[in-house]
Amino acid sequence: MIRAEVVVELDGREVYRGESKSFVQNFSKILFAILNGTGGVGLAYEGPVSSAVVQKPDGATTTVYGEYYTKYTPSAITSGGTAMGFKAGAGEDAWGILVGSGSDPVSPTQYNLSAKIPHGTDPGKLYYDVHTVTSSYSDTSSYVEIARSFINKSSQPVTVREVGLFARNRYQRADAIEVDVIFMVARDVLPNPVTVNPLGSLLIRYRVILTT
Amino acid sequence: MSQPLNPMRGFIEIEVRDREGRVIQRGRHEMKSFTNNFLKILEGFFNSYGNYPSEYVAKPASKATVVAPDGTSKDAWTEAYYDYHRCGGVAMATRAGAGVDSYGIVVGSGTTPFNLNNYALATKIAHGTGAGQLNYDVMSLDDLGLDTSVSPPVYRVRLMRGFKNLTSSTITITEVSVIARAYWKYTGGVVNDVLFLIARDVLPTSYTVPAGGSASVAVVIEVAMG
Repeated sequence: MIRAEVVVELDGREVYRGESKSFVQNFSKILFAILNGTGGVGLAYEGPVSSAVVQKPDGATTTVYGEYYTKYTPSAITSGGTAMGFKAGAGEDAWGILVGSGSDPVSPTQYNLSAKIPHGTDPGKLYYDVHTVTSSYSDTSSYVEIARSFINKSSQPVTVREVGLFARNRYQRADAIEVDVIFMVARDVLPNPVTVNPLGSLLIRYRVILTT
Repeated sequence: MSQPLNPMRGFIEIEVRDREGRVIQRGRHEMKSFTNNFLKILEGFFNSYGNYPSEYVAKPASKATVVAPDGTSKDAWTEAYYDYHRCGGVAMATRAGAGVDSYGIVVGSGTTPFNLNNYALATKIAHGTGAGQLNYDVMSLDDLGLDTSVSPPVYRVRLMRGFKNLTSSTITITEVSVIARAYWKYTGGVVNDVLFLIARDVLPTSYTVPAGGSASVAVVIEVAMG
């Protein structure tokens, strides 16, 4: 059995723990694209093997790839990528765990937060920290968790009502970016708003749990 | 229609036909058996950056340590960069070709109870035409899309494979698995090629495929939304 939780900690104290039921259709589409890969292609192969069409945060549709190989260029250059990266660094508010102030009800076709709270130190912004990933495995119960901290470095309170999980599908060769798409895979509206006071901190944890 | 209790669950749908093509047995069972390997790949994706981490050139940027069907621990990559062109890959492929019994939907005749650390079928039924073997067809995957007629809505993805019994004896299927493949290469060579079991179910009912008959096995993954 698989289930998912969203956990919210404010200033080190857990203020919400609830079941996440808010994957959006982008998640199933990238899962399909990954499973629909074949592996085993020849060394000269380049381009896509499996793909899906997702909706970006601006609402436009675009193609992402579950299995992809960068194109040929006649030099030794850095190439590669991933189908679904989440671990955005500090200050990156485009992918990974994002928070917002909107409260529109969740729906399967959503592709963005209602009102994203951007990274920053001005009023109405939160400082986006790095992600951490933890896990535990056993015969009967296992979990994997991705978490991110947000700090209010402004002089005004910031209220959080929604949480989103955004993935990045990206393949590159040197400075030539062949694919770079960010898309939301889950969004949860918190049952009660959480207010982060100046110098306060918020921790959001998405935990996926597997049990027998 | 009942409401899904979990954000993600799966069903196994099996149909057995005799040599004349008549359906002689059919069933649908909820899966209870995604494995730790599946979760580890998700962990690998959580650890994937999604941008260019220069310090990882010529290495995987993110990987998951899974247990291969032979019981050995191996790294399955989820993000990689190489200092050569034509680099790329896939972290959890299942679309195996005809005759390939090492990944995709793979069936067995064992009944060992499931636990999350399972890494192989108890007793795999191999591809072939010899006694006790089934002929493995090509895998097919279908994006079944969003179903809003249930509450909450669900999005379904289906993996499917056909098996023919080309032997002169009946063959009984008692367990069904999904085995995935992580595969990464660049122009100079294959740098990661690992198989790992992501789901295994011991069926509550055994399915008997008569000589000359066939079985169709589908795994439907259902993600609840909203």
